[in-house]
Formats: sequence, C-alpha cells, structure tokens
Amino acid sequence: MDHITSSRLADLTRRGVLGSLTAAGVGFAFFGPRGAKDNRDGRLVLDYWEKWTGQEGAAMQGIVDRFNQSQSKLFVRYFTISEIDKKGAIAIAGGAPPDLIGLYAYNIPGYAESNAILPLNDLARSAGIRQENYALAVRELVEHQGKQWGVANTCGSVGLYYNKAIFRERGLDPERPPRTIAELDEMARALTITGPDGRLSRVGFVHTEPGWWSWDWGHFFGGSLYDLDTDSATATAAANIAAFDWVQSYGKNYGVDKLLGLQSGLGNYSSAEQGFLSGRVAMVAQGPWLANIIKRFTPDLDYGAAPMPVIDSLYDPTQPVALIESDVLVIPRGARNPEASMEFIAFTQRRENVEELSRIHCKASTLATSTPEFFATHPNRCVAMHDQLAKSPRAFTSPRTRVWLEYKDEMESGFQKLWRLEEPAKAVLQRVQDRAQLLLADAARQRNARAALRAKV
Amino acid sequence: MSYSASQSRLRRTLLYAALIAVGIAYSLPLIWMVSTSIKPEAQTVERSINFLPTPASQTFSIAADNYSRVWHDPTVNFPLYLRNTLIIAALSVIGMVLSSAIVAFALARLQWRGRGTVFAIILATMMIPFPVLMVPLYLVFRELGWIGTLKPLWVPAWFGGAFNIFLLRQFFMSIPRELDEAARIDGCSTWGIFWRIILPLSKPALGVVALFHFIFVWNDFLAPLVFLSDRDQFTLALGLQLYQSQAGNTPWNLLMAASTLVILPVLIVFLFAQKAFVQGIATQGIKE
Amino acid sequence: MTPMLPRQRSLSANTLGWIWVSPWLIGFIVFLAVPTAMSLYYSLCDYPLLEPPLFVGLSNYRRMFDDPVFWIVLRNTAIYAATSIPLGTAAALIIAALLNNKVRGVGFFRAAVFLPTVVPLAASAMIWLWILNGELGLLNAIINPILKPFGLHGPAWIGFRGTGDKAWAMPALVLMSLWGVGQSVVIYLAALQDVPESLHEAASIDGVGPIRRFYHITLPLISPVILFNVIVAIIGSSQVFGAPYIMTQGGPDRATYFYSMYMFDKAFTYGQMGYASAMAWVQLVIVLVLTALTFIVSRKLVFYRSA
Repeated sequence: MDHITSSRLADLTRRGVLGSLTAAGVGFAFFGPRGAKDNRDGRLVLDYWEKWTGQEGAAMQGIVDRFNQSQSKLFVRYFTISEIDKKGAIAIAGGAPPDLIGLYAYNIPGYAESNAILPLNDLARSAGIRQENYALAVRELVEHQGKQWGVANTCGSVGLYYNKAIFRERGLDPERPPRTIAELDEMARALTITGPDGRLSRVGFVHTEPGWWSWDWGHFFGGSLYDLDTDSATATAAANIAAFDWVQSYGKNYGVDKLLGLQSGLGNYSSAEQGFLSGRVAMVAQGPWLANIIKRFTPDLDYGAAPMPVIDSLYDPTQPVALIESDVLVIPRGARNPEASMEFIAFTQRRENVEELSRIHCKASTLATSTPEFFATHPNRCVAMHDQLAKSPRAFTSPRTRVWLEYKDEMESGFQKLWRLEEPAKAVLQRVQDRAQLLLADAARQRNARAALRAKV
Repeated sequence: MSYSASQSRLRRTLLYAALIAVGIAYSLPLIWMVSTSIKPEAQTVERSINFLPTPASQTFSIAADNYSRVWHDPTVNFPLYLRNTLIIAALSVIGMVLSSAIVAFALARLQWRGRGTVFAIILATMMIPFPVLMVPLYLVFRELGWIGTLKPLWVPAWFGGAFNIFLLRQFFMSIPRELDEAARIDGCSTWGIFWRIILPLSKPALGVVALFHFIFVWNDFLAPLVFLSDRDQFTLALGLQLYQSQAGNTPWNLLMAASTLVILPVLIVFLFAQKAFVQGIATQGIKE
Repeated sequence: MTPMLPRQRSLSANTLGWIWVSPWLIGFIVFLAVPTAMSLYYSLCDYPLLEPPLFVGLSNYRRMFDDPVFWIVLRNTAIYAATSIPLGTAAALIIAALLNNKVRGVGFFRAAVFLPTVVPLAASAMIWLWILNGELGLLNAIINPILKPFGLHGPAWIGFRGTGDKAWAMPALVLMSLWGVGQSVVIYLAALQDVPESLHEAASIDGVGPIRRFYHITLPLISPVILFNVIVAIIGSSQVFGAPYIMTQGGPDRATYFYSMYMFDKAFTYGQMGYASAMAWVQLVIVLVLTALTFIVSRKLVFYRSA
C-alpha cells in the first residue's frame, strides 16, 4: 500500500473509532441508567439527608421504607450526602434545605447558635419523644444552652479494646484489663516485643493507633479542654499537662522512630493488616464498631473491652470516664413542615428501630434501657460495656462551642508535635490555649454584635 | 564508520535510553494502577513488586470480579455517573467551543472600541481562584433556580472560557487576512466569514479546545462537589472521590479498578485524537 | 491603520464587535463579576454561612496578621511554588526536547508523558499515596536497593495517618507534581517544532554543540511560551488543593497545609466565610503582583519574533 492510501486508511480508522465512540456515548446518555424514580401519589415528600453509605445506609433506608409503607400521608426520600455538615450548611444558607438532616452531635453548638436548626423541645414532646427515655450521656449530646436541638439516632463510646490471646500468651489475666494509667503502662510494657534488630514487632499500646481522638487524653486525668460556664479554653490546666506528659512518655520510653516504624507498616483501618487485628498493637482506644471489622477480617480474634484507664484517684468502676459521640437528626430552619419531619423522627425512635439501627451500625443503643435480645444478637460481644459507658455520669463529649472544630484542629496539630517529642507538652498546650482563647474571643465578640443588632431591630 | 556517524549513533542510543527512562517513569504509576486493579485484596499490600496476581492464571477472573464489583456497587452508581458525566461533557464542550470561537473571532478579526480592554479583562479572569467564587456562585445559581439540576455544570461553558478564548484568538490571528478580504469581496457577511472561512481552517485549534475542555470536565470534582447534592446527579470524578472516602475504607484493588474505569474513556479519546492534537498545537502560536 | 473589515451596511463596527462579544459579557457579569463583588463584600463581613453576613470592616484582614496558621500556609504555598515551578519547567523543557526527535515510536513516549494529566485527581492521589508510602511503596522499593550499600534508605515520604516524615512530605508532593508536566510538555513541544531547522543546521556547521545550541537558539525562540507556562504555573501552584487534601489532609502537623486548604476549612468547616473571602482576595493580589513582576522580568529575557 502506498503512503497516501495507508495514511487515508489510518485517518478513516481513527474517524471510525471516534465516530462510533461518540455514537455509543450518545446512546448511553439517552438510554442509559437513570436514578430511582420516586413514587409519590399525592403524599407530602420529605427529603432526608444522611451521611451513611453501605450497610449502615441500607439499614436506615430499611427504616425509611417501613415508614413509607406504614402510612399514606408522608413519603420520605433518603439521600446519602458526603461532607454532610458542609453541604447542609450550604443548603441552609442557600435557603433550600432538606426537611431532615443527619448531623454529628458536635455540629449542634454551631448550628444552634446560628439558629440554623429548630429547637425541638415542644415538637419532640408532642411526638412522644422524652429525654428520660435516653441514656444519661446521650441526653446532653443533643442539648445546648438549655434547649434540645436534635434527636440522637446512634451513639458511640470509646473504650479500651485488648487482645485476650496476646494477654494469655504473655502471662496476663485476660479477664483483668488495666484499670488505671499505671497498670496500662505496666501491661503495655509487658506486651511489647522488640525484635533483634531493635525494631518493634508488637507494641502494647500507642496513642496514635488509631489516633482518632488525640485531644481527649486530659479527661482520663481529670481535666478538660473547655469550660462551658466561663466560655474559656482550659488547655493548660494541670490535669491536661499531666496527661500529655504521659503521652510523651511513650515516645521517650519506646522511641518515636520505632513507634513510627511499626505504624507505617500497618495497613488500612478496614483490613486484616490493621494494627489491632494483626496483633501488632495489643490494646487500642476504640469504639464498638470495631467488632464489625473484626468479624469481617479476623473473626477468630479473641478480644475484650473495658473502660479507658484513668489515674488512680479517679478510678471508680461505677462511673467510668468515656468519650461519647453520636449522630443526631435535626430539622433545619426553613423545612417546609416541621411537624411532618418530627413524625418521621418519632418513627425512627421506636425501640425496635433504634435497636435495629444500633445493631447494624454495631454501636450501643441510645436508649436508657435495652432489650435482652439486643444484647444477645449484637455483633459486639462487649456491647454491654459500651452501654454502661453511655449511662455513666462521667461520660464526656467534645467541647460544646462553635469554635470546637478549629480548636480541635489546633489540638491535633499540637498533638503531632508533642507526640513526636519536638516540644514539651506544656509549651504546646500553651500555644493551643492562646489560639483557642483568640478564637473564643472572636466568636464571643461576633455573637454580641449580632445580639445587639437583633435587639435594635 | 566515520567519526560523525558514530557520534550520531551514540547520540541516538543515549536519546533512546533517556526516552525509555522517561517513558517508564511516567507510565509506571498507571501500569501499577492497572496491575493493582486486577489483584485480589490481600495481595495489594505485599512488600514485593508483582505486576500480576498470584496465581497468574486467575488474573482474568479476579479482574472480572473486581471490575464488576465496582460497576455494580450499590452505593456508588458508576453507570449512572457515567451517563451524567457524558451529558455534562457533551453539552459543556459544544458550548465552550462555539462560544469561545465566537468571542475569539471578535477579538481577533473585528475592530471595535474597548477590544483591548476586554481582552485584558479576559486574561485577568484566568487568575481568579475558584474557591473565591464557590459560595457566591452557589447563591447566584440558587437565585436562578438551577440548584438541583445539572445546569450549573454546563451552562457557564456556553459563555466562553478565558483560556480557550485566548488560545483561539492567537490561532485566528495567524490565519491570513487575505482570505477574509477575498470572501468579503464575494459578498460574504461577517458571520459567513466566521462560519465558512475561519472555523474550517481552525479545526486543529478547535480540536485542542474541545479535547482540553473534555478532559477538564471529565475530571472536575470541585464544581460538582459544591453544586450537586443529589447523589443521582453525581459525576464520575465525584463518584470516584466518594468511593475513595466512604466510611470503612474501600479496598485498594477496587479503588484502582474504579480509577481505571474512570480514565478509560478519556484515554481512548486521547489516544486516537493524539496525532491531530499535537498537530493542532504545532500550527498555532501561543507565542505572541 | 486600515480596518480589517469594511463597515457593514446596517451595524457599525463598534456595535458589531460588542454583539459578538456578548456571550462572554453576559457570562462574565453573571458568573464572574457578580460573585466576585459578592465575595469582596463578604471579605469585609463576619459570615458563618448559617447566618447572614455582618459588616465588620477590615477586621478579617487585620486578623490575618496575627494568625499563625495564616503565615504557616502562606509559607508552605510559597515553598511549594518556589520549588515546583523551576523544577517543573526544567523537567518539561528537557522532556520536550527529548521528545522533539524523529525517532521511531516517539508518539508512544509522547502519549506516556501526557497521559498522567488525563487522570482524575482522586485516582492520581490514591496511586501516589501508595507509591510514596514509606514502608510499602513502589518508590522506596526501587530506590532502597540502590541506597542500601551506602547505609541509607528511602525516607517515609508519606505514611498513612500522618506517620510520614514531616521533612519529606512537601518534597513528596513536589515529586508528584513532576508527574503532571505533560500539559506543559505538549505546549513546549509545539513551540520547539516551530523553531526553524535551518538555524540549528547553520549553527552546528559552525561547530556549536547541541547543548549550547539549545541555550542560545532554542530557548530564546521559545521564551514567550516559557513565559506563558510559568504564569500558568504560578496561578496553578498558588491554588494547590486537591492532592494534599486527599493524601495528607495537610499533615503531618501542617507540613502540607496549603493556602487554599486553610481557606476551604475556614469557609466550610470553621464557619468563617468572611475570613476565607478575605484570604481569597489577598491571594488574588499576591498572584497579580507575582504575574506583573514576571512580566517585567520577562522584558529582559523574552524574545518576540515578529509574525
């Protein structure tokens, strides 16, 4: 074939391929898959934005379906939204909010103070939702400045998970997890294995695995980061300094490089190579959802869970100290029919629905009491322990201030420095304190300016 | 062999060596991506470098399994997102090419007061970072009633894009004026000159604009992230990001399979349009 | 100067011009000018998104000076730009020069270099997150055997959950940015092909070696294109967001926390849209100044051929 014909052929081939691709694309666009159509028939449609995907989302979708089938006035559409607290804010700001949003409890101070969500006291009570039905700690999660702003739909608490098999292997009693900080240190030391090359092949406990709540260690020493009554940051309280000195002691005793070396070889949270599942970290601070992961990847893992150890003077088995967080259902300002939204919320709060959701999400129930079946069928063998945490008077949650997210990021950044022994804990906490005070002062100033403006009007 | 011939032989060898090194360095990550996408999950975290799963004989079935799990994922509806992305891309590219060409023509061929200023402003708008405009744009779209539709993602393209206007203007200016004048003498209107003379001669540059914009729209996830809330309207890029950030962490092999799927159409379009594309850039001047 | 097209019978040349430009004009007003004006107003307000904007004058701008995080992100972004732009330009030029040879299969190598730019960000971030992993990544798997005899090993470029080495996080991202020079390479390639062969031939007959030819002939002739790419790179690197957002979330300890990321957090996570808008305007001014400086410097360095 001569040159001209062969290049024409190449040309035609190219055009042919592009042409057929375009045709395929157009065909797909016109006849391709569509989103699910809704069946409305004259009902009032409520849009419910939630954050859950996968199994957890399917569980909520099931409850939504049951609600839709149980009555003919309302129809709830369930949407899974990523970055829901940001998207929710944009939608509310834009004046086109959904009728229900599933936020996090820590969003409540910001949303409540901006009046972006509706206070639910009266609405909830008339729908039969009473605070007394809920676990003690859960009640506080949905309240802010004396009002109730949402209804908790699942709650998680953080305890100490430990590997019983490893305990046995090293001669520790698997039914006797550490109760105090001193015991934790001792047992962690006993469970750590250093290889001949000096590298750690297993560590008993390390704060950064998984490291999801690096700001809360002060609570186990009796301190907290924020005082609600004075609206001030308390990062430099003695208890906090003691707590973070203790965090630093692990780096000093084991060697930061060695700890980092062990950690960087760990796999994804959701894999058998994860620290706890692979046995490379013997004890971790984690929540009840860990059991789902264990079931999936290492179902034979013999695990136990107990409240996080505290300093000796704080030890009281009837009042464990634990972090509680939850997802909450709120009704945004601008929702078309708050009563209708509340009707759906009330449905989700029926015992059987709460327990089903909590079971599939692998968390403890938000209710003050749980049925024996709930415990019996729950995937986490230690769910009763988590249940106890939710009822403890000393359960705590993240600081109830709208600047918390920025404060938390400052804490996280500070934690990175102090965990790597770059600076002493006191200095880091001082810097965090200064910045947090600045943020709080700014927020207070703006709050007052707006209140003054509203008073004028 | 003469000195200069052996010199050029050496040069050729060195050139090839350098080219191969560069080629490997740049394609290795993508090769690795595909290789991970055809492995079972457990083998994605190995310490040794393997390009195929072990046992290699099962490669095809493992690959088929991975890709079908991605395609049929219950939460992240890739087929639907593909459809959405196709619609947005098609509408956006057509609009962008047409409108940018129209405006570029006005800047390159027509004489009018304020032409220089408008061109300068167009250049300046290239520097405005998108995050500045994100929230105000959202509010503007809300006023227009477009939130909840796909419109925010393709309608603005019908009003021209600064980079593309710039590109096409430069190209138009390199087309000889005599052609315009000849057509004018034959009684051609201004629009006629645009449609029948300039546009046909600008196919390579128009192709460049179309291709660049197609790739941009295909991969853009920031605008869909801000302007789309309804999951059924998501695009592929957003879906990929969602897939990656799902609670519970998606396994690596599925992530890489999803990435490969998203890249595939663009890859094919590019490979076939490549020749015309490089030609197009070559025959127009971005230089002043 | 003679007009290029004689006047139409019905419309004046002026009106015609403006009619032709109207698509852009409408779009500019609705999608650019109005939002830009709004964002300027927001920068002078306290605007938590969930409540209406409250005018506070210049206090956002004043707050920036005292904000340690602002200076951290500004410095990080500047370092990133200052390293990735020269390295990227050099890499793109060298690769374009290599690709500018009529050897067999060169189209394949060109495709290999351009392909990475076609990959969506979420995908490349994931790929590189894996490649750059300290313990298990591809990069270290390749360079460790080379470094071993010297007793060195590849650093923890980026690790999961911030276990990477703080000092190497930024270099890791710069390295990754070199993977994306494909777009500039294509543009340089086109410019290189416009350089007349005759000049090179004449010079090589005079005994000028290839490197000196590149420096004295090629570079000046493509300098306008280099200018274009550098300005585009300044704008692009000042807005770096996607890769660090997905890969490091700004860590470890803000080592890869960049300007746009802080701006995004301020706007959408911390509820301070006003402050974020002020940051955006400061960024715009900085980029404008840098671009103007680049143009001024370019007068001495850039050589324009007449058409």
